[in-house]
Amino acid sequence: MKKYFILAGLIMLVCVFSMCNKASVFDPQNYDDRLSGGLSTVFDETSKAFTHAINGLSVQDQQVHDLGDKAFDQTFVAAGPGFFGGLGPVFNNVSCISCHHNDGKGTPTAGQSTSSMLFRISLPGQDVHGAPLPVPGFGLQLQDQAIFGLRPEVNMQISYNDIPVTYPDGTVTTLRNPKYNILNPYMPLPSDYNLSPRMAPPVFGVGLLENIPEKTIFSFQDPEDKNGDGITGKANYIFDSTTNKNILGRFGFKANASTIIFQVATAYQQDMGVTSYVQPQESSGGQEQDDKKMDDPELPDSIVNAVAYYVKTLAVPARRNVNDPDNKRGEQLFNQVNCTGCHRPTLTTGVDINLPQISNQRIHPYTDMLVHDMGPGLADGRADYLASGSEWRTTPLWGVGLFEKTNGIPFYLHDGRARTLEEAILWHDGEAKNSKEMFMNLDKSERDKIIKFLKSL
Amino acid sequence: MNHKNFKLTILVCLFIITSISIISCNKADTIDPGETDFKTLEQTVITDFVNNIALGSYLKLSAAAANLNGSVETLNTESSDANLVNAQDAWKKMRHIWEQCESFLFGPVEDNDYDPQMDTWPTDYVQMDSLLASTNPLGIHDISNLTLSLRGFHPVEYIVFGENRNRKHNEIDSRQKKYVLSLANDLLNSCNALYLSWSSAPENFAEEVLSAGNGSNRYGSKREVFMAMAGGLIDICTEVGEEKMREPFETRDPAIVESPYSGNSVADFKNNITGIQNVYMGVNGGKGLKDMVAAKNKSLDNLLQTKITAAINSFDNITVDYEDAIVTQRVQIQQTMSALASLKETLENDFVPFIMTNVND
Repeated sequence: MKKYFILAGLIMLVCVFSMCNKASVFDPQNYDDRLSGGLSTVFDETSKAFTHAINGLSVQDQQVHDLGDKAFDQTFVAAGPGFFGGLGPVFNNVSCISCHHNDGKGTPTAGQSTSSMLFRISLPGQDVHGAPLPVPGFGLQLQDQAIFGLRPEVNMQISYNDIPVTYPDGTVTTLRNPKYNILNPYMPLPSDYNLSPRMAPPVFGVGLLENIPEKTIFSFQDPEDKNGDGITGKANYIFDSTTNKNILGRFGFKANASTIIFQVATAYQQDMGVTSYVQPQESSGGQEQDDKKMDDPELPDSIVNAVAYYVKTLAVPARRNVNDPDNKRGEQLFNQVNCTGCHRPTLTTGVDINLPQISNQRIHPYTDMLVHDMGPGLADGRADYLASGSEWRTTPLWGVGLFEKTNGIPFYLHDGRARTLEEAILWHDGEAKNSKEMFMNLDKSERDKIIKFLKSL
Repeated sequence: MNHKNFKLTILVCLFIITSISIISCNKADTIDPGETDFKTLEQTVITDFVNNIALGSYLKLSAAAANLNGSVETLNTESSDANLVNAQDAWKKMRHIWEQCESFLFGPVEDNDYDPQMDTWPTDYVQMDSLLASTNPLGIHDISNLTLSLRGFHPVEYIVFGENRNRKHNEIDSRQKKYVLSLANDLLNSCNALYLSWSSAPENFAEEVLSAGNGSNRYGSKREVFMAMAGGLIDICTEVGEEKMREPFETRDPAIVESPYSGNSVADFKNNITGIQNVYMGVNGGKGLKDMVAAKNKSLDNLLQTKITAAINSFDNITVDYEDAIVTQRVQIQQTMSALASLKETLENDFVPFIMTNVND
């Protein structure tokens, strides 16, 4: 009889394990390819495609999102008796939306009300933690606008010269190579500075990117290039003075910002001259033009938190025309020339018990969140923690096909030098050199299919 | 059944099946004449929107800006309270058109930043005082390079109406007059550029909209244009009902009401929603979105028309300046915000799905 009990027990164990097996991963082909942000996807292909809250926020959460939305659009004025004060004394623009048009990108000009580009600056070398070294009197970012009566720290002069690129099939495409000159510094600049342009990137989907497990990002590194594809990749770690630890950088073109709240607060401080509890010092602190007002932090805690929550809960636009045969072929070619070596199509986010819409989501950001050597053409020569002067974070490609809608004239890459997706591909070098060469060796019709695929993202 | 009957039965069955198949094929290949009419209607609605509403409104806006420009020039040369009132009226007339244009804030108005150039709020008193006290020549080129909060409608409003809406002509000094003159000139330049961006090369945005789904670089389908129009209507509902009205209402803070110097806030709000009516109904006898909705879903058309009218009319119940109404007429404000929320709900939950279902080209 005992044998039968043992036998029954074994059968039950087998059944239990079989059931465990049933709960395996959902078959990839059963997912809807349009859902770039998983549950955090929105179906809108108009100019407002980047501006929507993720679905299903609670009433209270939606109110916080809406408060952040309004603050994101709010123009700041000079500190005084009125409201929304605190702008400057030196700044790059007057509101978040001034640079991030429609929560997306903007125009690669500097120092005007319509400009979306700023310049980081530093002395050669790095501090003990790897941070860039500030330039006395200027800090780590050049503010090219100022409150009336004060002087902008500098004026930036941007010019371009043409570089023709010839494909093996004889087709010629002209790239424009930017040149940046600093004019009229308000005080003498040292001669040996490093300069790095940054155009405002889109801000949607960052809640999902913040929730990608560190071990996932780390697993993409291949420092010894074991698979021989020429791609190594590196996670950037930045020093967090509040915890005295190095933490993973996720945001910014060099992955030099760790969290959304830090990124938002630093933009308020550096781009607008508006201080907060996260960044309570004026960007001009200790400089000749510091306002010396005892009004910091200028931004209420609730507002900086709401703006961080706003961008965290901005949905990702859905892909369009996923069943178009050209797009499908373009996707195959994108994979074939190993663009996906860095622009990883599919990632799974970690758990966030407060926001199921960004929790455990299968998403398609087309990034590995690592920094890669992109060659001398794109190099800025300015190291930022572990990211060298030629390394840039893999830009997420979701939404890239909507820039013409959200921005009017689209611009690509960290400084908007590329006017088309094709130009952006042709600027790739370094670890991406093999992929670019394979792209250039494709027939024109096949290259066009890759571009068409990208425009469906 | 004998062999002959069996063959006959098979032949009859084959004939019936073949006939049904042919008839079915024929049906599937036929284009419903109603669908052809609807597609023609779609193009007519787009054409009338471009010509009557977008180009028509922007042309009127330019004319109103020229009128404002002329009136402040007159105030500059012949200072009098009558000329000041003329300038104030010209500001309100231009504002009337602009606020209605805000129901279709897509295209060059957002791509080229004409909106923030003309309508940034709040006013930067600190910088304005510094500017006026300085030796800046205040010419048009000086003004057009200023930060956004020192340009556009609201600095003009602040100077010509005064902080307490009791401005007298002799209170406006020569520096302020020069500043207002250049501000009005700057507004005129922006309006002219906005009109040209729709009407002429190189942008020729009107052509981009008109050729939607037929060679347009911006709109791969007509549906995209209608979705942009729907988005514009929803956005202005949100901006008025959930932002411009709600925030001062909830905080009971009159200092954050937009257009406070002219007392024009309620008129601004109402004109925003009248802009929705213009786009939905069409103007000057042209076709509007309502013609498409009515052709397929008369009850939805009735619902939308009722809600738009109710929202517009509800503003008439707010009989005092908005700064006062947030204290004394809270019920009326709440009713208007509810009407706007209801309209937005129908636009989002019924009108957008209507477009997605019925516009397929």
